[in-house]
Amino acid sequence: MADTAVVEKKRTISFGKKERKLLTDPINDDNPITVQVLGICSALAVTTGMKNALVMAIAVIFVCIFSNAITSMFRKSIPKQVRMIVQLIIIASLVTIVELVLKAYAFESYKQLSVFIGLIITNCIVMGRLEAFAMANRPYESALDGLGNGIGYGIILIIVAFFREFFGKGEIYGAKIIGASAEYAINTTESTLFGWYQSNNLMVLFPSAMFVIAILIWAHRAWNPKLVDVS
Amino acid sequence: MELVNIFIKSAFIENLALSYFLGMCSYLAVSKTVKTAFGLGLAVIFVLGITMPINWLINTVLLSENGIFGTDLTFLRFILFIAVIASMVQLVEMVVEKYSPALYNSLGIFLPLITVNCAILGGSLFMVSKEYNFTESVAFGLGGGFGWFLAIVAIAAIREKIKYSNVPPALRGLGMAFLLTGLMGMAFMGLMGIDPAAF
Amino acid sequence: MHSTTSIIRFVLIMTSIVALILAALQNGLKSKHDQNESIYSKKATLAAVSNHIAGDFATLKDNDVQKIFDEQIEQVVVDQSGKVYSTEELIERGIKEGKAENLDLSREQKKPAADRLRPVYKFTKSDGSVYYILYTRGKGLWDAIWGNIALESDLSTIAGVSFDHKGETPGLGAEIKDNKSWVRQFIGKKIYDGDKFMSVTVRKGGAKDPVHEVDGISGATITADGVSDMLESGLKAYEPYLKTIKS
Repeated sequence: MADTAVVEKKRTISFGKKERKLLTDPINDDNPITVQVLGICSALAVTTGMKNALVMAIAVIFVCIFSNAITSMFRKSIPKQVRMIVQLIIIASLVTIVELVLKAYAFESYKQLSVFIGLIITNCIVMGRLEAFAMANRPYESALDGLGNGIGYGIILIIVAFFREFFGKGEIYGAKIIGASAEYAINTTESTLFGWYQSNNLMVLFPSAMFVIAILIWAHRAWNPKLVDVS
Repeated sequence: MELVNIFIKSAFIENLALSYFLGMCSYLAVSKTVKTAFGLGLAVIFVLGITMPINWLINTVLLSENGIFGTDLTFLRFILFIAVIASMVQLVEMVVEKYSPALYNSLGIFLPLITVNCAILGGSLFMVSKEYNFTESVAFGLGGGFGWFLAIVAIAAIREKIKYSNVPPALRGLGMAFLLTGLMGMAFMGLMGIDPAAF
Repeated sequence: MHSTTSIIRFVLIMTSIVALILAALQNGLKSKHDQNESIYSKKATLAAVSNHIAGDFATLKDNDVQKIFDEQIEQVVVDQSGKVYSTEELIERGIKEGKAENLDLSREQKKPAADRLRPVYKFTKSDGSVYYILYTRGKGLWDAIWGNIALESDLSTIAGVSFDHKGETPGLGAEIKDNKSWVRQFIGKKIYDGDKFMSVTVRKGGAKDPVHEVDGISGATITADGVSDMLESGLKAYEPYLKTIKS
């Protein structure tokens, strides 16, 4: 008993090849969005601007890490019959914490994300990782797995948001880059780079998120052919 | 007429799947054939129609400031909503299994999937943010479910056909499903000009 | 295997621990939440006179918003007949501190028009000129829309407006809030023609009357009509009050 405890302790602080794989796999080969097709639901609606996407990504990373770690900590004492509900309660309370904190310290984002914060609960990434990983692994590795998946998800979110914001509003992270400085330029003649550029309103609307992700998947699979669907 | 308006709006214009991307995971995973898509769609209508009024009651009777506890307990909203959804799904599963084995055989396998379908929780959260009353929330639940049903059956039908087309390998399957969903979203946007007063 | 009682015990203990943690957090952050809410609506009010506030309005700090509200804003509550309510009367009606900023405006909207309490914010610019910010609420395509309208001291020329909405379509109806240049069109329009109340109308296909009309929003005719109706009925309700300050 004492021996295993020592071994566990020693292993806990290591960060070797296996741990690195836990982190990097979800970013490329096992990306939650483009490969596992998890967690598309709540996120795409918030990718109209990079600021919201960043807040959402951070929130999901936080929830992923802690729900994975907490579930893994209690994995032996959680009764099998009510496993789902217990996991959901853990996730729901973490999401509530996120909501309360955002409401206090990032009110604008809180207003804009509105119900989509709550929808992190049913973000399949969180639930999926709990079932697939945290219920069978130690807290430290589970936390790493959560971090990796959260980052993999966040990266896609920010890439999508970048394209939608840049072409839809001519902005990057809220700063005007291309196009006339006011959207419809009625009373103003001042313009920035490429003043002739007319913002493409479609990119702000919802179908564009689907197109951007489809193209991302296409590019990702063309570059990494082992991911191509057989069907 | 307000109720018809809400139904139409939630089914077509604010379609849960095509304008809010809710329930996308199961939408993409279970839309390979029309038959399964049909079953899942029905199950979603069913569960949305049941959980929406229950969550409305929980929100107004238990959690709101004018409820029986007299304090603002809205920070427990997420936990209670998801607990209601999870237990309702389980309950529906048991009841259906007992009284209608035929229905259970066609719907049964989809019911567990529905707990983590964001369309269900999302519907409840939208209901709160839109401040619907009881009957309106029922109309919203049924309308939202119907819209989701339409969306998944439609994409399944298209995917059944597109299997025979010559799509670039890297775009096959998932990528194509995303593109199609986007196009369907655009088609549904065409309904946005509907004047609710016409109903 | 777990027995039923142990499962119930586990779930109960867990739920109560979780609820306690959340309740503690909620309590700790409550004052911050309330403050954020109130600053948010104050900022929406000030947005109507954003041209007359020094510095970049979008990046205005919370403290500055509060400071402007404390130093440059005078709050009054009136009703349709032009009656001005005293602080005591308002406290009696359950309005916190008897201040216009604490009115629950969506609840007021549900009352019959004659009973509605309406806020008026008198904004004094640093150079001494005075603006009156009026509030109006109506219906867009899908849900409530509302707006703050700032009038110059002639009580007819619009100094600025800000609109908001609950559920209009992004890119279409939601443009009443997001499209700043559309909003900017309202500046300089007049709600009176001599003594005659005209309001300001959103005209589909482009404004014809340069004084009382603004351009429509393509694809959002119903929302735009909602704005027209809201301005017409909302501003008209302030008429008796405006008359009393004029004389």
